[in-house]
Amino acid sequence: MGKFMKPGKVVLVLAGCYSGCKAIMVKNIDDGTSDRPYSHALVAGIDCYPRKLTAAMGKKKIAKRSKIKSFVKVYNHSHLMPTRYSVDIPLDKTVINKGVFRGPALKHKTQQEAKVEFEERYKTGKNKWFFQKLWF
Amino acid sequence: FIAWLLKKMKKSLVSINSRLQLIMKSGKYVLGYKQTLKVIRQGKVKLVMLANNCPTLRKSKIGYCAMLAKTGVRYYSGNNIELDTVCRKYCRVCDSDIIRSMPDRLVKSK
Repeated sequence: MGKFMKPGKVVLVLAGCYSGCKAIMVKNIDDGTSDRPYSHALVAGIDCYPRKLTAAMGKKKIAKRSKIKSFVKVYNHSHLMPTRYSVDIPLDKTVINKGVFRGPALKHKTQQEAKVEFEERYKTGKNKWFFQKLWF
Repeated sequence: FIAWLLKKMKKSLVSINSRLQLIMKSGKYVLGYKQTLKVIRQGKVKLVMLANNCPTLRKSKIGYCAMLAKTGVRYYSGNNIELDTVCRKYCRVCDSDIIRSMPDRLVKSK
C-alpha cells in the first residue's frame, strides 16, 4: 500500500559487522542493478555511538565522549529493519554514493563527511533516539 | 449463549475460508514469512493474514512492517495447518500474505 523504504528513514542493520547499529538510508534502489539484482540501499550509520554525558563533566571530557564513528555501506533490504523514525540530515549525495566503495581512501573520506554531519546533529540535541545505542 | 457465540465464530471462520479460497483461485498472493516481508517492503500488499500460532516475534515484526506500509493485518483464528488446508497447499503455511488484485469485491464483503 505504501512504500516506506525511503531516503531519510532510520533503519536498524541486522546483519554483518554493523548489526545492531542505527543507520540512515541515503539512497534506495528498489529493483536492483545488474551487479546487485535485489533491492538494496546505501546507508550511512553510526558505528560507535557517543558516550553518556553527565553534568559533572568538563568540556574536554564532553568533547571526547561526544565522538561518533560512522560507516557507509550498501545493504540488501532484507538485512535492514525499517523503523518509524526518520532523520533529515542533509547528507551530501555527491560525496556519499555507491562509487565510494572503489577505494579505501574514498570510503574513508565519505565516512568522515558522514561523521561530521552526525556530530553536528548530535550537538543540537535533536533526533535523540538515533544517537542512542540500541540495547539488546 | 455460548453455543450461539461458537456458532457465530464458526460462521465467520467459514466466510473467511471461502474468501481465502477465492483469492487462492483468482487473486494474487504470497505465502511465507520471507516473501511476505519482501512484498511488504515493496509496498505491494493489501492485506496480510497470520496464523494464530505464528511465533510472537515474527508476528510483531510483520505487524510493524505492515504498520509502516499502512497495510492491514488480519489474524486468522486457526492454526497454520488449517490455514494450509484452506490454501490447499501441501505444506504448513505460517503466515500468508495475500495481495488482492480484486480489492473491491473482497473488501466490501468483509
